[in-house]
Amino acid sequence: MSRQIDRRAFLRRGAAAAAALAVGPGLLTACSTDEPGANPKSGSGSSARSGGTFRAAFVGGGASETLDFFNGPSALDLVRARAWHGTLGNLDPRGPDGVRYGVLKGIDISDDLSTYTLHVRPGVRFTDGSELTSADILHSLSALAAKSKLPVYRLAAANFDLARAKADGGLKVVLPTLRPIADGRMILCQGNFLVVKDGTRKFAQGMPSCGPFRLTEFTAGQGSAFERYDDHYGHVPLLDGLELRSIADSTARAGALTSGEIDFAHDLSPVTARTLADNAKVEPAPTKSPYLVGLSFQMNMSAKPFDDPRVREAFKLAVDRKTMVRTVFYGNAEVGNDLPSIGFPDYAQGVPQRAHDPERARELLKKARADGMKVTLTTGPETPGMVEMAALFVEDLKKVGVQASVRELPAGQLYADFPAYAALPLAASYQMPVPALSTYQMSTAGGSPSAFGWKDSETDALVAKARAERDPARAKELSTRAQRTRWTQGNQVLPVFKPNLNAQAKGVDGVRDDLFEQFPGFSRASLA
Amino acid sequence: MRLLAFAFRRLAGAAVLLVLLSAVVFAATTVLPGDAVSAVAGVDASAAQRAEVRAELGLDRPVTERYTDWAAGAVRGDLGRGFVGERSVTEVIATRLPNSLLLAALTLAVTAPLAVLLGLWTGLRGGVADRVVSTSAQILAAVPEFVIAALLVAVLAVWLEALPRVSVIPLGGTPLDVPHALVLPVLTLSAVGLAVATRLLRVSVADTAATPHCEAARLNGVRGVRLAVRHILPNAAGPAVQALTLTTGALVGSAVVVENVFDYPGIGRELQLAVAARDVPMVQGIATALIAVMLAVLLLGDLCTRLLGAGEGHRR
Repeated sequence: MSRQIDRRAFLRRGAAAAAALAVGPGLLTACSTDEPGANPKSGSGSSARSGGTFRAAFVGGGASETLDFFNGPSALDLVRARAWHGTLGNLDPRGPDGVRYGVLKGIDISDDLSTYTLHVRPGVRFTDGSELTSADILHSLSALAAKSKLPVYRLAAANFDLARAKADGGLKVVLPTLRPIADGRMILCQGNFLVVKDGTRKFAQGMPSCGPFRLTEFTAGQGSAFERYDDHYGHVPLLDGLELRSIADSTARAGALTSGEIDFAHDLSPVTARTLADNAKVEPAPTKSPYLVGLSFQMNMSAKPFDDPRVREAFKLAVDRKTMVRTVFYGNAEVGNDLPSIGFPDYAQGVPQRAHDPERARELLKKARADGMKVTLTTGPETPGMVEMAALFVEDLKKVGVQASVRELPAGQLYADFPAYAALPLAASYQMPVPALSTYQMSTAGGSPSAFGWKDSETDALVAKARAERDPARAKELSTRAQRTRWTQGNQVLPVFKPNLNAQAKGVDGVRDDLFEQFPGFSRASLA
Repeated sequence: MRLLAFAFRRLAGAAVLLVLLSAVVFAATTVLPGDAVSAVAGVDASAAQRAEVRAELGLDRPVTERYTDWAAGAVRGDLGRGFVGERSVTEVIATRLPNSLLLAALTLAVTAPLAVLLGLWTGLRGGVADRVVSTSAQILAAVPEFVIAALLVAVLAVWLEALPRVSVIPLGGTPLDVPHALVLPVLTLSAVGLAVATRLLRVSVADTAATPHCEAARLNGVRGVRLAVRHILPNAAGPAVQALTLTTGALVGSAVVVENVFDYPGIGRELQLAVAARDVPMVQGIATALIAVMLAVLLLGDLCTRLLGAGEGHRR
């Protein structure tokens, strides 16, 4: 596939070049500096419009891919939407309030933590020329996100009373909370809350949008094409166009990258990523913390002997984390400390790294009279590395006297029968990067089925209290206390955090600057 | 006229069979462990949220009620929407089935002439050649499709780098825009088709060659190509059509595997994705469409056989 340069893009680039000759490069970048984090870095391709069409490949979701990102379960559905629609904001440790706002100017929180006020950024325009107002945000949140079945949008519905949300004039949205929370900005501004026009029911090509690119073509299961939206708020993309392709096979995505058919390959398997190491034309671009996937094993506290905390600790001490990182991920992963959400602001502070101590594990099992216990670990290839890690974990367990074996289910089966999965004695799992406390509240608190028998009202209360604490230092302290309990008593072995092993052509720049790297939006990307 | 009556009778039979088989598919999808809730609501949903989604998808209703609802829609041509992504099932079939039919047509174009030639050669010659070809076909028929595919990929895509490892169709295009990407899937399916068809055709050629009519021709000095073209082929045509019809049936099953191996955007790949997600309406719609295609092929095969059978009588 040759790089497409359509006539309009060619003319636009010609015009841009002429303008650059006439007035120097300053004018061209002036439009891209009124948003925090929008200052162009010094470096190739970022100080002037690079132009060109950027082509990226993802796993995709076959013919079930949909433009309705509120109901589209595949990663590509969200990536496509992030290029196409404006966002409330993204997590950004350097930004005010720890976020980089998008179509919002800011979010105020009432003193009693019962109300969030969203302030709309004035002058954001949809592609039909209309201006974005509070009604559009309200519709996107309370009519669309609230009805979504996807976990990420449910996170908002689990924390805000979306049915009672209301507009206050054209530039304010008032959002009541279901219980006092101080970390609501972190939930609303993760990068996945996107805004469509008020009244939108059907998602189709040509619908008004206010994201960095305008959708020009979409074929489910094959791909989509975009052109730059010149009226994008804050900054205008450097690229002329964007193409997102569906290629399910990891080696095929890598092959398309090395042969120059695409510029960016998303989420390669560890083995595939390693084969690219010596290729001079491409470079690895793994996601950085906090955009890491936690790979873990759940011990079922409803089943003996995992009701005994000594057995749970023995299993945590038995796992050789460094070897997993080295052999399964060739070093391209981080060691985990049995707690999810590393890198998020609310992740526990000062909890020591758990050691690999097979001796102590053996002792603990003896004390608990569980030495020589039999257990089957159930896993499946739901994300790269999951099956290989299970094989290593079983070997580690054998070394401490556990008669462990692996049962590998075919792709797509591990979670299909969820009640059966949640009743397994020992099961593999993975956690998407989401803030620590809101995750706990949603999927672990109150004896949720995904908690594998963990029921602890004290920790539940502590998490709620930490989330309702305005003083950041005090919130951190409470949050750490709750997580420390999970670390000592909990039923999760989390040995590895894996980045998405993306790779890109040499000279590609700025993909990471878009934040929310798990689902890159490409609004700041440029080609060599 | 009698042929028309026959066609109507067979059509009615096929319709009844389609209804029965669609019920079997529905039952099979229902007894699979699990449901679409995890695929739709995520794996970290609470028990209450899972129940809510299950109710929203209608999975809390009795199976018989769900089936009759689906069947009532299907009769009106409405196959509903998939649970995952809420895409129209009819639309998915309309975009993916043609790609699969293209693969099947190309495979038959390769398989049919080759199988006829091999069938004639082995059926008439016998001896060592027959044993070698028959044994090879037997072995080939026993090897799973994904193994054949993996071998072809290893040699042609990885080692020789002559062909793409998967079928990446250009945006807005069709598989015909990338003919080289069709080679590996067609080769794999042809190997499967050839193994089935050669063995069936060999038998019908040998049977035909043993008929008194052919014996007489041979005694009159008719040999080789002339014997094959004038006497064997016309009389073996009916069984040959039946053999190719059965081969097409075998290919439908193989296509599901092959499309997944090569990431080919066909109906088989969608069926696999839908089964993995326990997306009942999508599985149901696609399976019914595949069964309908299969029944249509069988019906067509029967009609051809009957027509050829009628011709055969004249020739005799």
